[in-house]
Amino acid sequence: MKPIKDFARQFGASISLDKSLMVRKESRYFLINEKLKKLIAKDFFYAGTYLGKTKNGKFFPSFNLLSMIAEKKANKIIVDKKTAWLFVCGRDIFKQGIMHVIGSKRKGDYTLILNQYSECLGFGRILHDLDEERSGVVVRNISDVGDFLRREK
Amino acid sequence: MSGKEFFVNRYEKLGWKYENVKLKQTIRTNTINTKEVDIIKRLKSLGIKLEKIPFLKNGYWICHSEFSVGATSEYLLGLYSIQEAAAQIPATLFTELKDKTVLDACAAPGGKTVQLADLMQNTGTIIALDVRKQRLTALSNQLERCRVKNTIAYNMDARQASQLKLRFDRILLDVPCSGNFATDRDWFNRRTIKGVEKNAKLQREILTEAANVLKDDGEIVYSTCSLEPEENELNIEWAIKNVNLQVEKISCYGEKAPTNIFGKQLDSSVENCGRIWPGQTQGFFVCKLKRRVDAL
Repeated sequence: MKPIKDFARQFGASISLDKSLMVRKESRYFLINEKLKKLIAKDFFYAGTYLGKTKNGKFFPSFNLLSMIAEKKANKIIVDKKTAWLFVCGRDIFKQGIMHVIGSKRKGDYTLILNQYSECLGFGRILHDLDEERSGVVVRNISDVGDFLRREK
Repeated sequence: MSGKEFFVNRYEKLGWKYENVKLKQTIRTNTINTKEVDIIKRLKSLGIKLEKIPFLKNGYWICHSEFSVGATSEYLLGLYSIQEAAAQIPATLFTELKDKTVLDACAAPGGKTVQLADLMQNTGTIIALDVRKQRLTALSNQLERCRVKNTIAYNMDARQASQLKLRFDRILLDVPCSGNFATDRDWFNRRTIKGVEKNAKLQREILTEAANVLKDDGEIVYSTCSLEPEENELNIEWAIKNVNLQVEKISCYGEKAPTNIFGKQLDSSVENCGRIWPGQTQGFFVCKLKRRVDAL
């Protein structure tokens, strides 16, 4: 639970999950519901909503968790169509591709990246204060949904 | 007993003249994540030409796309899945899925599991099994991508489903099978009747276990993408005689299954099964089974 809360906090978000409905399988965390709770056996492989995993003490969120955080008050950047496409291809974000910023604009802060439909595409880290007059890369891509394709390789 | 001539002769005896087919890529919209009208509009705006599949509620053929439909943001966000047209049929044959306890006995890579979750609108519970752990990783990725919330997956052989100590309202048996030439160019060179019979035996074992964990008023949908009657009509005939199941009438694309297989006359209810010869879709077989009334 703590790694998830700590992770959400990096986006200025507070996330509250029912502890009794969270299950862990080795390093992976899942959120289940009451129905699944009644049926689940110890040796499951996957259950309910996958939230993320810890590896070497670091938390790696699932895209479901990122979408859950995106529904809350959190740091978000909405990007244009072209930038959204480049982002899911693993690219960083250029200043001119940003349509709207919600929450922090501060260098070093983490932010969710959303497309024009407010769908969460992943997250990144702000490289330069977004209020600064500058062009070029301003958000570094940390994780994006294109990962689903990269996993298959 | 193998080779193209051998198998093609068998198909002719079952009433179908062999023809080579070229399948169009097919998608299925995931209505738990988007409205059908919205996703179709978005895909059209990307220059993708789509054609609604007349016999499927949420299926579309891809008529033209300049890029892979498996690499769009919309796909990565789980707004649609790539799923062959005939493969979209089995999950739709169940009556009422919402809030049910469903077993997807041979679930990986998860296309039909996601479809079941979509039809259930993420209610109830799906227990998804697969015997190969590596394939469960692919299933997990599908579940995460499509934001499925109602599924528990186990690394388990379908033949051991009773170890879960659960009884199911609905059971999908999309059993491992020999496949068909429409989706495998090398099919005729790779397959033998011995291999087909081996698969048929495994399928009968899975059917037996499914009958054990089915609720009295439950439903089983059995499907294969094989054209071989040993894996289809003959297995269903076997299930009628050996595991107290009966075949229910279904209404879907395809034709009635033959009840005379190479001179052997089957139970007349086998004609309620659906057989799809390759053409607009790949080859497929599907049927719905219930516990025999006199066995209750």
